[in-house]
Amino acid sequence: MPEASPQPDTVDERVLIRQAQRGDRAAFERLVRLYESNVLRLALQLARSEDEARDLYQEAFLKIYRSLHRFRFEARFSTWVYRVVMNVFLDHLRRASRRREMQAPVNEEGGPEFFQTVADERPGLNPERSLRGKEIARRLEAALGRLSPRERLVFELKHYHGLKLRAIGDMCGTSEENAKNSLFRATQKLRAELRELI
Amino acid sequence: MDCKTAEEKLALHLYDELTPAERAELDAHLAACTGCADAAAELNRLRTVLDQRPRPEPSPDLLVRCRFQLEEALDRETSGWRALVHGGFGLWPQGSALRVTAALAVLVVGFSLGWTLRQQTSLPGVAGPAPPAWGSADLSNARISGISRVAPNPQTGAVRITLDAERQFTLEGSLEDPHIQEVLLYAVKSYDNPGIRRDTLEVLRSRGSDPVVRDTLLYALHNDPNDGVRLEVLQALHELAWTPQIRQAVLASLERDTNPGVRVAAINILAQHADEEVLPRLEQLAVEDRNPYVRLKCANAVREKARQEF
Repeated sequence: MPEASPQPDTVDERVLIRQAQRGDRAAFERLVRLYESNVLRLALQLARSEDEARDLYQEAFLKIYRSLHRFRFEARFSTWVYRVVMNVFLDHLRRASRRREMQAPVNEEGGPEFFQTVADERPGLNPERSLRGKEIARRLEAALGRLSPRERLVFELKHYHGLKLRAIGDMCGTSEENAKNSLFRATQKLRAELRELI
Repeated sequence: MDCKTAEEKLALHLYDELTPAERAELDAHLAACTGCADAAAELNRLRTVLDQRPRPEPSPDLLVRCRFQLEEALDRETSGWRALVHGGFGLWPQGSALRVTAALAVLVVGFSLGWTLRQQTSLPGVAGPAPPAWGSADLSNARISGISRVAPNPQTGAVRITLDAERQFTLEGSLEDPHIQEVLLYAVKSYDNPGIRRDTLEVLRSRGSDPVVRDTLLYALHNDPNDGVRLEVLQALHELAWTPQIRQAVLASLERDTNPGVRVAAINILAQHADEEVLPRLEQLAVEDRNPYVRLKCANAVREKARQEF
């Protein structure tokens, strides 16, 4: 994720961007390498499966590829990249909130969590602890899933990635004040949702 | 500082986003106000609970698969879907005005008659004030870079397709419109974004009796790489009249799909149509499927059928 204090794009990066804008795939792929770990890490937190995270990664970098010609070096490249990525993630969260229940069949035997439990039937695991951990994880995911897409994104970037609200505002194309408001609403909702756990 | 202001500052305090002066003022309030001090303690405990959430690290294997998938998608950039709506999607090197013009000409011709073309100023999914109607000539200044939304318009029964450009455009038309149908069918078969493919399927579900739509659903069931999309297809097929063609497709999904969730969804459908062709397959998979839950579901379906017949 970007640093709190912006650094200008390096000369190498500017060269790569210009080459990629001229259609150089190798240059574009080198640019991808600079950002892919952070993008995939956040995608894994927002998605419900590795497959979904992989799709988000692809969608984000394809969008960057398709709109790279519009980058005019007026902003930091990393800010521009993350703004595109955050828009993709926001769209994903909006769609997910519309069809939260459609991702896997929910059935009388326990729904999607069942498939996750199968892999954990290994010797050496403490079943009670594992069960409790799973229950906490399930409730955390449910509570996070009930945040609005923007609240969710701001909260993830703040709590789990430790970014400053000003940087989050830049990445999400909004003001620091709006990011503050989203963080406030997110923590209020999570407090209410998770009261029994705290 | 009053309690309402303090409450608003607590999250910022927790995440070290206050200035030294604001922090000192809040600390002074917390020292004097038990209610707010309790709220601050509760927020601290919330942070501890939230810290228990696993933070997945991308494995090298996942990263490699992501790169491979991206490379494939980049390879497809010059073919397939983009050749339909068309060529206009993708990275246009600066100066390739001819390509842009040619692509937009296809768009303008394809999307002119019978379509309402509007500029959408708000974000997708957020209803804004009534947008002004746009003539198709306005597209000549647009650079289409992708589809961001496909959704039915509940008020008119039409479908809205939101295109990404430097400004967003919403194309709206009836599902009867062959141009709309063509775009939707290509979106299901070829568009990169699985969310858009699922949204498109949702729209197409209402026309599942149309043989072309049905064939597209069956194509997606067998070929779509996204588990959620294949699940959506199964749900759409479940709503259609049960035919031998659909039975074969669902059976094939049960036997070949790599995702156990999809196979379970197929079992749920087949259990309701367990005839002499389906039953032996369920019995076989109750023993042979590699996933214990799928085996259990198959066995349950067979047992339930036997109970009904008894």
